[in-house]
Amino acid sequence: MSKQQPDSGPHPRREPRFDLPLSLESLEQVFADCADFGKREVLLHGDASRSVTVCYIDGMTRTERLNDYVLRPLAQDAMLSSVPEGRIFELLEQGALYAQDAKRETELDSVALALVNGSCALFLPGRMDALVIPVATEEKRSVGEPENEPSLKGARDSFVESVRTNTSLVRRRLRAPELHVREFIVGRQSLTPVDLVWLDGIADPDVVAQLAEGLDRLDIDGVEAAGNLEEYLTPAASTPFPLLASTQRPDRFCQGLLEGRVGLLADGIPLGWLAPGTIDQFFKTGQDRAYHWMAASALMLIRYLCTALTLLLPGLYIALVTYHPEAIPVKLALSIVSAKQEVPFSTIFEVLIMLLSFEVIQEAGLRLPGPIGTTVSILGGLVVGNAAVEARIVSPAVLIAVAIAGVAGYTQPSQDFGNALRLWRFLLAILASFGGLFGLGLGIAALLFHLARLETFGVPYLAPFTTGPGSSQSHPSLLRLPLPWIKKRDGAARAWNRRNQR
Amino acid sequence: MRHRLFTLPLAVGLSLSLTGCSQLPQPREMGDMALLRTMGVDRTGNETAVTVSTGPRAKGLQGDREDALVLAAGGASISAAALALQNLSDSYVFFGYVDQLLLGEELARQNVGPVLDHFAQSREMSPGAGVWVVRGDSAAHAVSSGDGQGVESRLATLRTDGEMGVASISRTAGEVYTDLLEWGCAYLPALTVGQDESAALLDGGYAVLKDGVLAGFLEGEAARGLELLAGRPAAEILEARLSDEDVNVRVTGAETKCTFQQNGLEIVCRVTVRLTGHRQPLTREEMSRLKEDLAVQETARLEAALERLRFWQADCVGLGPKAALTAPDQWQRLAPNWPDRFQTDAPSLRLELAVQ
Repeated sequence: MSKQQPDSGPHPRREPRFDLPLSLESLEQVFADCADFGKREVLLHGDASRSVTVCYIDGMTRTERLNDYVLRPLAQDAMLSSVPEGRIFELLEQGALYAQDAKRETELDSVALALVNGSCALFLPGRMDALVIPVATEEKRSVGEPENEPSLKGARDSFVESVRTNTSLVRRRLRAPELHVREFIVGRQSLTPVDLVWLDGIADPDVVAQLAEGLDRLDIDGVEAAGNLEEYLTPAASTPFPLLASTQRPDRFCQGLLEGRVGLLADGIPLGWLAPGTIDQFFKTGQDRAYHWMAASALMLIRYLCTALTLLLPGLYIALVTYHPEAIPVKLALSIVSAKQEVPFSTIFEVLIMLLSFEVIQEAGLRLPGPIGTTVSILGGLVVGNAAVEARIVSPAVLIAVAIAGVAGYTQPSQDFGNALRLWRFLLAILASFGGLFGLGLGIAALLFHLARLETFGVPYLAPFTTGPGSSQSHPSLLRLPLPWIKKRDGAARAWNRRNQR
Repeated sequence: MRHRLFTLPLAVGLSLSLTGCSQLPQPREMGDMALLRTMGVDRTGNETAVTVSTGPRAKGLQGDREDALVLAAGGASISAAALALQNLSDSYVFFGYVDQLLLGEELARQNVGPVLDHFAQSREMSPGAGVWVVRGDSAAHAVSSGDGQGVESRLATLRTDGEMGVASISRTAGEVYTDLLEWGCAYLPALTVGQDESAALLDGGYAVLKDGVLAGFLEGEAARGLELLAGRPAAEILEARLSDEDVNVRVTGAETKCTFQQNGLEIVCRVTVRLTGHRQPLTREEMSRLKEDLAVQETARLEAALERLRFWQADCVGLGPKAALTAPDQWQRLAPNWPDRFQTDAPSLRLELAVQ
């Protein structure tokens, strides 16, 4: 470890990773202490003077493929024992094996990585090259329903952990050859394939270039969670709001591509990301285009209203009850006074503690297995809440205000956006407890200021409610207009080809 | 980045202090508040007496009811009396919900201006509060007449009924104050305190203020006439006798138009009534006789009201200012002496009756 520069960065990459000549012995050295590394020596057509060694990683290969399409031809093909030894690899490469691909490699790194990805490697004694044949297993979770974004009227498939399956789900919906899929390998240790997906001629090339540059620059150990991409590709440290929209639904992902956004798929993560992630994306659901436009618009308005409720209600309650009681209707005020008389805590303390309790119950419900989580939620929410009210520890009005704010937050289609709102809800409640409506107003101004200065891949975060350099005004996203009226792609995505229909 | 972290809060702090926002408001718990609903103001000698009531209070989650809290204090001004009230209660006395103002007759005979001015300018109290004059009694007596139940419910009913047109016209402190400032006179509903055991507050016609001082009361037919002039008649059943039966009609609306003619002010009052009780369809002749009969009744009411208002020189429904809209140049000449002209020049009155 360097003592002069302890924080100067990670060790430089070793290129090549294994600085050894390519041979069976070297490969065995690389995979020493690896219980899943396997090798099998095969005599070519039973000729004891001619043998080949097949290496593979157990579990990454499909046994049937290895046996039927590699080992069987090697053992049974008479021609392999009759040709000169120098032509054996040439014959195998040209079709003696029943594989879709066969590639001759001369570097140890390439062979080792191919083995890890499910290929097998063939070594002939005395040769400094190897033949790599893909026999990878396709064991993976089958395509299921999107649990986080359920559908009542629409497709029911969901992204899975395999990036190639995910790209196939996208390509089945967008069959245009203009759909481009560029792959990057991200993570020094995980070597995760991450695919950049876009429709050429529709997506903004600037965004494609920015994402490609970001993925090229990404030098981390591994991509084991969604944050590994989101936090490295966007300036996420300065804001709790998500700057990349994510979805489990291939249909919504494709809709984003059609709007001119650029998609991102990572192996091992059953999600697709869309850039730029402007604020309106977090209020839309995959169902918006499935319902009648009036119903969809009304539901969208309700979601916006619920956002205001979840964000402002606790702060507003504190401000009105402790600073501006004259603004409360008389009968409601009398009701609040009567309920508050025997409660020992201040309103501010009550609201903040209830907000905290709500988060605790929610977190406990999420961490526990399903049936126990439900029990905890019922116990915490109903039983303890009711008991606290009856014991005069909290007033019912506070309980109602916090519960409405909490439930309203669940209308958010994006969990990430909902989490950001939960943080700001606390902040606004604290500001309201210091300065009433003045403090709340100050907090709202700060929130608007914060949102207004955010950008996602060069597009203002508040687009399409605002415009900025390079983004033109698009259709009002507050409502879902009839589809024949939406003649242009979403302006926030800065699509080159903006017209989407006649 | 660090530079910005330090400068931003500093800039915000400086900006706040420059805008006068350096002092944050103080929080106060609603559970410790006595929410006042009704305020009565009297004048006794040189002192202003203020009586306030919370109305019946709910207590606890089960909605147990507590008696209304009634407090009374006096002072040189209404502000001083209100301040003295704070010392009388173990709760914080909060005036932000006072929406019923009762003025004692004695106060009304001296000057209601300071009270209305206080309501207009106070940070807590609202000019939207309903206002009544307690006829022949003190406001303190009226406020405490409801015993444990308070008078808040009764006054709220009177106000709602007035807004719906089934009782005397309800008025707010702001409306009365505006009329006094613009026209120099105003009308407001009057109440009397019942003398029986229930001591309920009863409709007492209208009080007419002239220059902030009580000019007199309108009651009975004159009060109905004032309502017609104001275009807000209270729901009422009129009876007319035809040849073989009594016919009942209900007054449903009125509209008064004023214009300046060569011979002075002309008032045209269009009254709409609806037949409510008759045995068979009326013939044309019967209808004509009915209209004549009703017109006589309504004209008498209008004349009774006008007579009293002209006697007091109090054009409290703004007949002159309404007519001014049709002849602004004429109004410019008349306006300086309008109270005198209103008294001396008898307006011509025409009544149009529509039966539905």
